[in-house]
Amino acid sequence: MASEAKLSHTAAMILQAIDAGFVYGFSIMEMTGLPSGTVYPAMRRLESDDLIRSQWERQSIADAEQRPARKYYKLTATGRLTLETSRKRYPLLERMIPSEETKSI
Amino acid sequence: MKPPADWVFRAFDQCLLRSASILVPGQQRTEWQQEWKAELWHVRRACAPAGRISLQVEQEITAFCLGAFQDAFYLRLGSRKRGVRLAQIHGSAWQCLFWLAAVLTASYTVANISAGVRAERHPEHYRVKSNLILIQDAHDTSDWAATIPVERYRAWKRLHQQYFDDFAFYRIQQETLSAGGNGGVVRAVGHVSANLFALLGLQVESRNAGDTAGGTERRLILSHEGWERDFGSNPHLIGSIIRVGEHQVRVVGIAPDGAWRLPGQADAWILEPDATIAPGAAGYVVAHMTPSARSEMWNGRVHITVYDTDGSDEDFWGISFAERTQGPWGIYLFTVMLSFLALPALTSVSIADYSFSSHKPSWTRDVIRWAFLSGKIIFLLTITYFLSLDLTYFSSIAYSPGASGVQFIVSFFICLFGLRWVVLDQRQRCPVCLRRVTHPARVGIASRTFLAWNGTELMCTGGHTLLHVPGLPTSWFGTPRWVYLDPSWKFLFAE
Repeated sequence: MASEAKLSHTAAMILQAIDAGFVYGFSIMEMTGLPSGTVYPAMRRLESDDLIRSQWERQSIADAEQRPARKYYKLTATGRLTLETSRKRYPLLERMIPSEETKSI
Repeated sequence: MKPPADWVFRAFDQCLLRSASILVPGQQRTEWQQEWKAELWHVRRACAPAGRISLQVEQEITAFCLGAFQDAFYLRLGSRKRGVRLAQIHGSAWQCLFWLAAVLTASYTVANISAGVRAERHPEHYRVKSNLILIQDAHDTSDWAATIPVERYRAWKRLHQQYFDDFAFYRIQQETLSAGGNGGVVRAVGHVSANLFALLGLQVESRNAGDTAGGTERRLILSHEGWERDFGSNPHLIGSIIRVGEHQVRVVGIAPDGAWRLPGQADAWILEPDATIAPGAAGYVVAHMTPSARSEMWNGRVHITVYDTDGSDEDFWGISFAERTQGPWGIYLFTVMLSFLALPALTSVSIADYSFSSHKPSWTRDVIRWAFLSGKIIFLLTITYFLSLDLTYFSSIAYSPGASGVQFIVSFFICLFGLRWVVLDQRQRCPVCLRRVTHPARVGIASRTFLAWNGTELMCTGGHTLLHVPGLPTSWFGTPRWVYLDPSWKFLFAE
């Protein structure tokens, strides 16, 4: 099962960052401190494992803000389960990248 | 308005992304480019707000763009499985053997392409008959200088000889060579005794020689290189008449690559009766010894004293061709032996001075480890042979005495430093999985060497071992030490 698959610390950090609301590549890079050559291939792999899902934002929104449209990533249900498992394995993960709920507490 | 430098940097970054996109499979390329361009736009806006330019910022942006190559490479590999396999083969024994095989294939291919290397590797084309010597004036220090006048050669040939049963003479000089309508080129042309090629036992391609033997013109044999260069490898050249200096000559054959192993390089040889060779500059004399004279030879040389009719005498050296044309194999074997002997001077040859602190690998692992080491050495020795030939003879078809020296030096250094690499590489391979240990980390400080160890810690990416290399060897920690990681460490290493 994918939820039981062992994730590397890097992949777990990326999942945690997406869960925390950093939903596109550059913001994940900024949050985790990982280089682009690590973040983007890792996201491709997470997406092919069905742990995250990507979606292009609407062109009208991008046009209104006079910028190119970007691709957003969000966790799938399997991704959430896997992240829960990874948090147990890497207890410092949530302290490094606090999620929205944790921040509000 | 944006400064011109800004456009240059933007164009450079776009160029990087475009180059990386070539790696991406066609059906994903458009979307991939769209995502990276959008990300680059945001990166530039975040790093350089209001178009501010600084070299540090541009370096960061370029580093971001360079990451696109890794992303594109990942997509090129396609599936997750192959991605995992890539991580597994990084630094592995198979990867090492693959690269060695690639180098071997490349050097072998070059060896087959290069005419010079082909000629060296197939000595049957230029092997001269046994018991042949080159006669040189003993007062001349160079083995390769022309020292014998044609008059002396004729005198030797007229007299009955006890130690020699045949002689041939040749001399190299610059002459204009022209065919058909072309203006002619100045080339080195050898004037040789008609029996020289037969005496040497050289096979010369001569398809129409029989048809043309009755002609009155002098006969000419072209070198293979000269045939290709000056006559465009014309297959119908044999039998035709060309002009050399003031004489008309008929082409009767083409010598194979590297066939000429005698001193003095020539592009063509005119076969002449001894009586018609014009007196002039000194040349070379080749002699065939009788079997009884062979016993006089020592270390490839024989001392010859010639007594003239007026009672004076002159000294000559007879130098064996067998010594001169021993071929590259002997040199190669000698350098390999020398490299093995010299290796301990460069590095410790022991690869077994690594002690495990808590674990001993199984004997099957040891067998695999030794087999891997043997494989690397076999690859290295084969690469050394072909690479030394490539580097020595790639650009030179003609034989030269210096080539043996170059091959010796090249072969020795490739083999010596190659063996050093083999030993050092073997020492840094995990005894369990044979991956190279990586991620070096400094541990401890030098001033506390006697309280705790200081040095470098390297890690097996498979999660099997750590390698501790002492920075300052002490009596209690003198040699690198392997630390075995038990299965409780596994969770740190992703599958």
